[in-house]
This record gives sequence, structure tokens and C-alpha cells, in this order.
Amino acid sequence: MQQFAIRFVLPVIPLVVLVSSSESAADDEFFRNRVATIFQEQCLRCHNDAEHKGDFSLQSSASAFQDGYVEAGDAAASHLVELITPVDGKSKMPKNADPLSPGDVAAIRKWIDAGAEWPVELKLTEPSVADLNWWSLQPLKRPAVPDIWNARKKINDSVSAKHPSRLQLRTEVDAFIQDTLTKKGLQASPEAARRTLIRRLYFDLIGLPPTPGQIEAFVSDEQPRAYERLVDHLLDSSGFGERWARHWLDVVHYADTHGYDKDKLRPNAWPYRDYVIRSFNDDKPYGRFVREQIAGDVLWPDTVDGITATGFISAGPWDYIGHAEVPESKIDGKVARNMDRDDMVTSTMNTFCSVTVQCARCHNHKFDPIMQEHYYSLQSVFAALDRADRTYDADPQTAARRRELVARKESLVKEKTRLDAVVAERAGERLAPINAKLTELQKQKAAAGGAKLEFGYHSNIAKSQTTVKWVQVDLGKPTPVTSVHYVGCHDTFNGIGHGFGFPLRYRIEASDDESFKSGVTTLADHTQADVPNPGTNPLSQIAPAELKARFVRVTATKLAPRQNDFIFALAELSVLTPDGSNAASGKRVTSLDSIQAPVRWQRKNLVDGYYFGVTASSDIQDRIAELMNERTVILASVLGDKLNSQMAENESAIKATGIAINALPAQSKVYAGMIHHGKGNFVGTGANGGKPRVINVLHRGNVQQPRDIVRPGTIPVISNVDWQFQLAETHNEADRRVALAEWIVRRDNPLTWRSIVNRVWQYHFGRGIVASPNDLGRMGQLPSHPELLDWLAVELRDGGQSLKTLHRLIVTSSVYRQASTYAGTNSQIDSGNAYLWRMNRRRLTAEEVRDSVLFVSGKLDRTMYGPGFRLFVLEHPQHSPHYEYHKHDPDDPASHRRSVYRFIGRSQPDPFMMTLDCADSSQSVPRRDETVTALQALSLLNNKFMLRMAEHFSDRLHVESNTSTEHIRRAFQLATGRDPTVEQTVALKEYASEFGTANLCRLIFNLNEFVFVD
Amino acid sequence: MKRRQFLDQLGSGFGGLALAGMLQTDGLLAATASPGIGGAVEVLHHPPKAKRVVQLFMGGAASHLDLFDYKPSLEKHHGEKSDFGEHVEAFQNGLGPWMKSPFSFRQYGECGKHLSEVVAPLGDVADEMAFVHNMVGRTGVHSQATYLQSTGFDTPGFPGMGSWISYALGNMNENLPTFVVLPDRRGFASNGPKNWGAAFLPTHHQGTIIRPGTENPIADLIPRAKYVSKVGDARALQLLTKLNREHQASRPGDSRLEARIRSYELAAKMQLSAPEALDISGEPKHIIDMYGLSDGQKEFSKEINPVEETDYFGRKCLVARRLLERGVRFVQIWSGNDNGFPRRNWDSHEDIKRDHGPLAMGMSHGAAALIKDLKQRGMLEDTIVLWTTEFGRMPSTQGSKGRDHNPYVFTNWLCGGGIKGGTTYGPSDQWGYKPLDRENPTQVYDIHATILHLLGIDHRKLIVRHNGIDRRLTDVHGHLIDDLIT
Repeated sequence: MQQFAIRFVLPVIPLVVLVSSSESAADDEFFRNRVATIFQEQCLRCHNDAEHKGDFSLQSSASAFQDGYVEAGDAAASHLVELITPVDGKSKMPKNADPLSPGDVAAIRKWIDAGAEWPVELKLTEPSVADLNWWSLQPLKRPAVPDIWNARKKINDSVSAKHPSRLQLRTEVDAFIQDTLTKKGLQASPEAARRTLIRRLYFDLIGLPPTPGQIEAFVSDEQPRAYERLVDHLLDSSGFGERWARHWLDVVHYADTHGYDKDKLRPNAWPYRDYVIRSFNDDKPYGRFVREQIAGDVLWPDTVDGITATGFISAGPWDYIGHAEVPESKIDGKVARNMDRDDMVTSTMNTFCSVTVQCARCHNHKFDPIMQEHYYSLQSVFAALDRADRTYDADPQTAARRRELVARKESLVKEKTRLDAVVAERAGERLAPINAKLTELQKQKAAAGGAKLEFGYHSNIAKSQTTVKWVQVDLGKPTPVTSVHYVGCHDTFNGIGHGFGFPLRYRIEASDDESFKSGVTTLADHTQADVPNPGTNPLSQIAPAELKARFVRVTATKLAPRQNDFIFALAELSVLTPDGSNAASGKRVTSLDSIQAPVRWQRKNLVDGYYFGVTASSDIQDRIAELMNERTVILASVLGDKLNSQMAENESAIKATGIAINALPAQSKVYAGMIHHGKGNFVGTGANGGKPRVINVLHRGNVQQPRDIVRPGTIPVISNVDWQFQLAETHNEADRRVALAEWIVRRDNPLTWRSIVNRVWQYHFGRGIVASPNDLGRMGQLPSHPELLDWLAVELRDGGQSLKTLHRLIVTSSVYRQASTYAGTNSQIDSGNAYLWRMNRRRLTAEEVRDSVLFVSGKLDRTMYGPGFRLFVLEHPQHSPHYEYHKHDPDDPASHRRSVYRFIGRSQPDPFMMTLDCADSSQSVPRRDETVTALQALSLLNNKFMLRMAEHFSDRLHVESNTSTEHIRRAFQLATGRDPTVEQTVALKEYASEFGTANLCRLIFNLNEFVFVD
Repeated sequence: MKRRQFLDQLGSGFGGLALAGMLQTDGLLAATASPGIGGAVEVLHHPPKAKRVVQLFMGGAASHLDLFDYKPSLEKHHGEKSDFGEHVEAFQNGLGPWMKSPFSFRQYGECGKHLSEVVAPLGDVADEMAFVHNMVGRTGVHSQATYLQSTGFDTPGFPGMGSWISYALGNMNENLPTFVVLPDRRGFASNGPKNWGAAFLPTHHQGTIIRPGTENPIADLIPRAKYVSKVGDARALQLLTKLNREHQASRPGDSRLEARIRSYELAAKMQLSAPEALDISGEPKHIIDMYGLSDGQKEFSKEINPVEETDYFGRKCLVARRLLERGVRFVQIWSGNDNGFPRRNWDSHEDIKRDHGPLAMGMSHGAAALIKDLKQRGMLEDTIVLWTTEFGRMPSTQGSKGRDHNPYVFTNWLCGGGIKGGTTYGPSDQWGYKPLDRENPTQVYDIHATILHLLGIDHRKLIVRHNGIDRRLTDVHGHLIDDLIT
């Protein structure tokens, strides 16, 4: 491995072109070339104009000389020299660092003695790197495939006979690898046995073992291209996305809790996980995959993938307390939000470009061409965003309909504002005190009104608004009537609220004729103009003197609108007699039609004495009615019929639109990077119209030291392309993310395509062509096969961007099909197998172990997608959730799905999975550790999941076969893909007979052969 | 392949040391001066003064003003309107009048250190202790502050100090974990196990949780199933080894296979050694008394109370001593869990006396016993004890009896291995609001650098490259606090 470990001399930008080689200290070139470099690298970090540590800045001659630290011409008398000269190996400056080298001290002394020449115009800056002279920043071109590829037919014919130690040249990959093997004097390994190959392919492509039947079918398949067909079959299986999504989720540090302090649940994170699985199974072109995750909500707003993909931005940890308990105006609040954007920027650039941009948060990147302003220009791309639940419509038609309705409502509300302004202008002064009193009284009334469910009477639904509907009460006998009182409905569902179903036009009549054909007295007639909705305020109508009637009827002539149809509903109708009693109470109610849906809706509710706010004192009711009346009178007098009717129409249209919106199918949610409309301390930018926060360069990354404001942009790694995005002055935050997404997938982006093919390669072979998959920069490793990397990158970029094609190219190669057998001679040249003279054996990942145990035990549930299953019992969820893993029942069938669907705790991860090296979701994990520890042994032996599954495995064996010998054979086939030897069978049989099949199964789960893949 | 990378890949600490042991046996590795097995630091950077560390971590932020940092000014000006001389941002705006400690202070030891009555038991060992009163944090947010003090970074994704030390120095007893964590019985503090996670170091450097006195003190140590028996497991181990060796025989040149075989042997040994290490029933009465476990009480009042705190904290301290004796390198003991109601940690926004009283009595009793016990066994001289917390608390009131967060100054103390006892270093100002010398505060990096130094490690040389960045426990900071070192 160490041949790829490299050290660099820092390519620091020279201050000026070196024009003189003179070493005369009096010459200011000596300062430029020698002393300035020392100041820049050793001192400027603290002693700059901004920070001014010790009231001393070394940025310009003016500041450097002003405090007398330097006595020009006399180094011995200069305080600066005293500070940097070590005594007993320690110097006062640089603080908390090693002293300057004797050479550096001598150079500074020499410069001072010679007069301390420092050109006035020369301002020093901290070192930065600007050049693109690095392999990963070179333009991506398709390298020629090594010559042997052209001669492959001839070579392949002779391979088995004459050159068994050469690769069959099946794909171009083989040509590149063989070419290097030849150059390094390495011998390729022979092709692995089919039994080995199928197990390798199954785990690699779908993360599960093959069944004994599948193994036998493949081993005995004599058709040509049996291997290729197996590859196609696996790439087409749904398990492929499940296996490869887990790799991606490692990189983007996905989890289902926030992490940090309280580690609260994030119940809507999973749609992003499902998105990744679906995208891999659908073989979504990589460029689209990238763009969706950064700006899918903008580029493909009506697609589920477009929305759920932005779960990428929010996948990482979130400091709940730093946002919810500390406002953005406080320093700690600023820190939390700065770190939050840092996670978004870091995750985006690490994931897609494999570049360590985060190094430039506090200072210019020391190795790669990234300055602080570049880093903060990336923060500016995400500056409007927070992490929150985003609602969306899974059905695009619903989404379109919702947009239309919301737009309609907005314009209606605007119209209302206009009408309100007219009212305010004409009657504002008179109405204001009335409205204030009404608001207060309504509050009192709401507080008094119970939340009973007997809403009232509800007609059938009509298609036409002018359908006439009636409801009436039978007083039993002709009865003297002094007044009629009636109240609108209150529906607590869907926020429909007050006045639900109250007709726009109606009349109230009394008669002794049940059919109201004769002897009808009209008490109220509101059929000529729309009336304002009274809400749940009781209305009353005085009866004409001496009225006596048996029936009282309310007839709606213009119904109340719903989404696409119309209804009539009424909560209460009471009929008062001269003695003040309610003659209607509990009497028979009839109607043209009725939706009888007890307890909420039924005819008898009309006379049950209950309506919203009924328990409020009659005083409140009366005062409300009085004020409402007063208001109506005022409005009528100042507005006139036309405006009055406009207002009524507007009000009912707003209500109808609101109801229509509520009636749309429920929306889905995904936890995403989005504009947040929040309250309290965590307000987000929603209230500000999603306007991005102003982003400054932060000196030393300190929120209390803001410097220049930056514009949105990226890192300057594409020649001839401005790193600042060219956006109109009027651009919005979405434009910024689109610009970044488009920049990442540019054909001439040198990092993107190399990054992804390297990741894919790594997951197949255990090691990337570049062994540092998150860093292709100068601190990363060098590629072992640079031409192959570039060839694959171009192939992906220009060949349809299909990842499945890339997988196929790799796994059908002879390189991949090699045995993993050790060879001493090769090992002496390349012990780490960087050049792939054999396949790498690997240990199963945590997920593969768990899934295989379930699969082999016959318990695996292959249901895909949806909320994560829990391997813990959740306690104290209200405040700080406790994830009690030890209390989980391993027999809970919900937890028998594949591990990719488990609910992942971030601060409190699953100890069993962690012990098996599963990814730590606090950080990007581009490559899993593969450790071997005693705790792992204990977990696989004694964890209750393993103990229970061993029993299920045993049960399965007993169902599928009869004899102990058969049990052992079957168990071996399922777990390792082969038959046990005779000797092994004998030994295991003896063990099983004494200690039982479950213990036998437990032993098999712990075999090296079970957890390693050759 | 470099030895380091090789061992990293295979797991080199607890359990993984099977491999290191094997390699040493096979003569593949030259004998090194590293004091542990499988440590990344092959040769210590300088002669060490200590081998082990105990970290006592107070979750929720323990008040320096009510325990260790005596402020006569607060007694004098108690109840007067607080005046910090500058604008102060407090987490919950707790900037009421100046508030003296509800506890009385008196002097202890030859050094004459003032200690609060609720940490009086530590008075016996005051001359062993070195106080740092000018610690400063970065923010007053629990999660960030806890991360900062436990991992040296205020965001997730970094290894705990114990993980770094496990990685650097390796193990001293292959049958026990290198880094042990004894959490508060009530639950985890902020960030939970991420405070002792291995992050980008190999997983086995993470802290292993031990819950003394419970049915399952170490997860999965003992199988709980009716069909399992000790005899059966012993036979299974033999058979497993045999089958694994057959598998290995046809796969030469892969030391992971050998390491995994050995890991099962180690697991079996650990099943024997761990319960023994945790069993305090054989401890003599005077030791049990010293740790405050005499009552053997199992039922406690529901209210937070000193008897219960002493019992639980003392038990952890005693177990810590037993683990250290048996070669555990780093023990982290937690007091206080998450920030809930009623308070179960040191986050006394409402009432210092109510929470700090019992918590401090329990903590100080156990901590003092641990220090004395280590000393009488000759172990204190190479065991560092570090007491730390998230940040301090304000000298002003919040409500009438509580204190708000104070990230601007707080206290740490150390003792043992190479620490100069009876030291008071870096005073805070007269109110305990900020360091007296604001230009030269102490930060967690300095504490970490000093501890690594005492262990024989130059903190600037303990580096792991992760995702293209060279990472250190002390980031790009840290300097030795010479005044604390003997």
C-alpha cells in the first residue's frame, strides 16, 4: 500500500514571479522570496490585519513596523528577533508551535540587519493553492485501451494453453489490468470455481447468499454465457437496489434520527432511502441521479423522485437544540446554522466530487485549490435551506390540482384584502371596536363550547347549487310561536370550522300543513341575495304576532358549496313559545333528504339542544348576535348591495377553496433540505420568502468575525469556467442549487465521473483504483490504474450514464472472476493486491450477516420500502428518546425484513450492527472497516437475535429433511454453499445428537466460511 | 503493507490483539517499546508518567461556582443586580442578580484549597489534585459542548479520547476491553454512545459499555437461551476451531482467518475474566465502606438523593479500580443523563441546591474513594484521573435558585500519574464569569495534549488520515500545561 502514500511540497502561490536569484538581503527580492514566505506560513495566521493578535499584524510594512517590533538595520535590538529566537528549545513565537528553524531565524535577522526592506505595496496573504497541476484535476479524456486488447482473440486462444497465468481478455477492464500485471511481473490467478463465483456474485450484487438450488443450477449450466446471464438476472433483481443503496447511504451518512443531544426521531427520512433503492433498480442515469438529489424539487417538481431525492441534503445529523432552543440572532444559534450548512456543503462535495472542501471553512485549503471564498460560495448555494418535513403529492395530477387551488385561494385572499380595505376605508372606525369585541366574545364562546360530536342535520349532496332543500320540525300540534332561533354547524374535521353547510340563501316558514302547500307564514326571507355566513353565531327571527303553527321549516334555495358540489346543514333549530320554552326540543324532524351518519349527522341532532358554543352564557350569545347585527347594518349602509354581495361571494369562495384543498388526497412527507416555514427560534427563511441568508467569509470559521459577503459559486477546478455562478440579480435560491447541480454533472467536470466509477470499483473489489474514495485531491491516494479509471469514467459519462452497464463491465471481466488464492511470488511484489493479481476475500458487512442469518433461517421477509422497522423499544420519546435495543423481541416479524429497511439511530446506534462494523451515520463512510474482535465473536454467539435465529434455522431443517445427516448437509449448503465432508458430518452429527440442532446451527453461523466470501 | 495498516485492517485492540500476539509469536513484528499490545504508537515519543486514565464526566454541565471555584465576591454581592461589564448572551437569558453558592466552602489540605461542602470528601485528597479554573468552551449548547469535551470537536464524527488512547497504546490485558464506559444508570448524556464512538478509527477502539450489577453487564457476554449450556459451548468452540482451521488450510496467506479463530478463544476467556473483574462481593468491608456501599440498599427514594447517588457512583468507581488493576487502559464514568424533567443531571437551571447537592455528594464520595484506593495500591502514580463537564454555570441567577449555562469559564481537575498535586491553575475572574486572563484561557485541547503527554505521546504526532484530512485528538490546537506536570 505504501507505494501510493505520497508527500508533497506545498505548491504555494509565489507572491510574485521570481525575477532575481540575488541573495543580497538589501534587495527587496530577498524579502519577497525568503522572509515573506516565513511570515506567510508561520505568522500570518494570527498576526493579520483582522485578528491582530498581540496588537501586531504582519500583513503590510505599515502595520509590521508601526509598533517597533522591528528595528531596521539592527536585528539584535529588534523585539521580533527576541520573540522568535529559541531559548532551551522553546521560543515565545510562534505560539504553541515548534520554533522557527535556525535557517528561518537567520534569514529574518539577515533581512533586518540589511535594512528590513519591505515594498509598501506588497501586502502578504495567507498561503493558498491555485494550480490545477494534479491528476484528478486534469481534463477527462478517453485513454487508449492497451494494445493487447486489439490482439485479444489471439491472446485468448493461447491463454489457457500457453499462458495460464494471464487473464482472458473479456472486457477492456481486463486489458488495462493485464497490462499492469505484465509490467509489474505479476501472474494473474485462475478463474474461480463456479460455486465460488455464484456466492461472490450474489453477495456482491444483491447482498444475500444463493440458495442450494440456484447454486446447483449454475454449476451445471452448460449453456454459453451462463455467467453473463446470472449477472443480468441479479442486476435485474430488486435485491440489487437494496444492496447498492446501502453503499450510497453510507456515503451520504443517512439515518432516521437527528443525532446530537436528544437524538430525536426523524420519522419521514425513509422516502429518501426508498428513492435511492428505486433509482438503482431503475438504473437511473447517473447525471440525473446527481441533479435530483441537489435540486430535484426544482427540476422535476411533480415527480416523487424529484422531491424525495432532496432527502440527500438533509441526510446528515441536525442539532435540534442548537436550532429549536437558540434563535439565529444569538452566537450559538449562528454557530449551529453555520455547522448545519457546513454539513450540506461537505456532504455534497465529498459525495459527488470526492473533494475535501470542508478544509477551507477556517482557512484556505492547504493542498487543493480551494480558498475560503470558494467554500463560503458553496454555503451560499444552500443558504436558504433548513432540514424539515416537506409535504408533497405522490400523484402528479393531485399536485397540479393543489397548485391550482392554492393559487386560486391566494388570489381570493388578495381580493378579500382589497374588499377589507374598502370596508376599512368606509367604515373602519365604526367597525374596529365591534370587531375587537366580537373576537373577544368568540374566544369566550369557544372556551365555553364543548367539543361534542352531535354536529347537526346534513342534507344529501347536490350537484347544483340551486337545488332546493328543506328541513322541518313537527311541534306535534299547532303551537303559539313568538320567535325562531337557529345556528350553523361546526365541524372539527379538516379544519372546516364554523358555519359549515350554512346556505347562502334561505327562508323560514311556519304552517299547519306538513307539506307547506297551504297556510304558510313566512318568518324570514333571505332568498333574494346571498347572506354572509354567520359561523356558529345563533340567529333569531321574531315571529309575526299571534302566529300559531304545527310545523316550522327552513328551506335552502342556494346551497353551501363544497369542493365540487353543494349541501345544506344546520346545527340547531328552536321554536320559542310565549312562555319562553322551546317547543321544538326533541320533536320529530323531517327533511327532503338527509345523510344519516350518527352520531355526527342525523335529523334529530337539529333539535337536541346542542350546538357549538351552547354552553356559553346566553349573555355572550346575545352580545355576539347584537354585534353581528350591528355590523351587518353598518356594512349594508356603507357598502351597498353590490359590494355586500361581492363580499359574501368572496367569503364563500375562500371557504369552498379551502374545503377543496382539504379534500385532496393526503400528502406524503419526506425529511428534506427545504425552505422552512417555522415558528419560535427555528423560523427558517420561509417568512422571508425563502430568500437566502447572507453568507460572509468567516475569518477562522468564526461566526463573530464575518468578512466579505460571497455570491453563490463553487470551487475553481474547471479551467475556463468561472467558479462564481452567473445568475441574474433576481435569481432565487432554487437557481443556486440548479447551478451547482449542473456544474457537478458538466461533462468537463474532472472530479464527478472519476469519483463515481472509483466508488463502484471499490465496492466490487474492496479497494478503489484510488484508495481514498472521498478524496481525489493531494491528500488522497494516487490511482493504481489511472488510465483505467479515466477510461471507465468516460465510458460512464458518454455511454448513457448507466451504472448497471458499468457493473456489468466490471463483474463480467476476468479480473473479477479470478480466484482469491494467495500466491507467495506475487505477494512479494504486491502484498496488498493493489494490482489485482487475485480477487480479494472479504468479510460480510453487518447487513449481509444479519440478512443472511434471516435468509438461511427461513425468516427473511422480502417486503420492500416503507417506514423503517425498529430493532429497539422506544422509551421517553417526548423528551430525549431512549432506544432500548436490549428490549427488542427478535421474533417480532416486522423486524425480519432486510437490514437496509431498519430504522437507524444516529447518536444511539444498534450495538449489534456497530460491533459488525456497520457505518457510523455521524460521518460519511466511503468504505467500511473490516475488523475482527472478540466482541464480534460474542455478538455472533450470544446475541438474542442469533440465538433465536439458530432455533428457527433448526426448525427449518427439521421441516425440510428427516435425518441428522441430512440436516447437516442442508445446513452447510444453505450457509456456505457446499456439502460438508464426511468427516465433518460425523463430527457435527455427534455434536448435534448431544447438544441439539439449534446449537449446531449456532455453530454454523459462526464459521469463518459463513462470514467470509472468497 | 505497513504494519499499522495491516493491523488496522484486522483489528488490533481488544480481540484484534489476537493477531498482534500471533504476529509477535511468529516473529513477524519486532518487539517494540509500546506499552500495550497492538498500539499504533510503536515507540513512545518520550518516557511516560502514566499508563491509564479515568475520566469522570458530569453530564448537563456542573457548576464550578458551587463545587470547586470559591468566589467571595458572590457572597459579598449576593442579590445585587449582576453587572458583567459587557453584553452577555446566556443560553436561556438567565442573567438575574449575582448569586452566591447555596453551599458553604472551607479550606482543605496543606494547599488550603477551598472546596464546597457537597464535595467535602475530596478534601482528604486535595493535595493530590490540580484544578484548572480557566477552562473555556465554544458554545453553550449541550450537544456541541459534550462532543467538544469528549472528542475534541463540537460536531459528530470524531473518536472519543479513550478511543484515541486505545488506538495509540493498545491493550494491557487481552481478556478485557481497552476502553470501558460506565454510563449513568438513568440513561445516556447528550449524544449518547457517540461520545465514546470510534468514528473513523477501527470499531474496536470504541468504548465498551459495562453496567455493573445488572443481569447483563456486558452486551452478549453470556448467552440467554434454554438450549445453550456451558459444556455445549465448550465443545462447540473446539469444533468451530477445527472447522475454521480446515477452511483456513486451503486459504493460506490470510491472517484475518487466523485472527478470527483466535477471537473466539479470547471471547471464551473474557466470559470468565469479565464477571470476575466486576464482582465486588469479595472486597473487604473497609473498601466497601470507603466507597459508600455499606448500606447495600436496593430501594431508594424517588426524589434525587445523596444515598442513592453515592451508591451508584461509588459502585462504578470501585468497578473502575478493579478494571484498571486488571489492565483496562481507559475508564469513563458518567454522572447524569439527558436533559429531562425532573432533573437527572447537572443542568440546574431551576435549583442548584436540589440537583447539585445529591449529585455532588455521590460523585465526590466515590471519586475520593477511588483516588485514595488507587494511591494505597501504588496505582495513582501512573493513573490519571480527570474530572470534566460540558461547561460551567453563570454567577447570576436563573429563576431564583438556578444558574444558566456558562461556556465562558468552567473548571476541570486532574490528579495522579504525573500531575502536580495541590495545584490551582488559571484563575477565573472575581465572579467566575470568564478567565481572569482572557487572552490565555485553557481549552480542552490543552487538557488532551497534557494527558497524551503524560502517557508518552506527543499530541502533534498522533495522526490518522481520514477522508483526506489528517486528524488529531487536538485538531490543530493544544499545548502542554507545564504547571500541572510534576
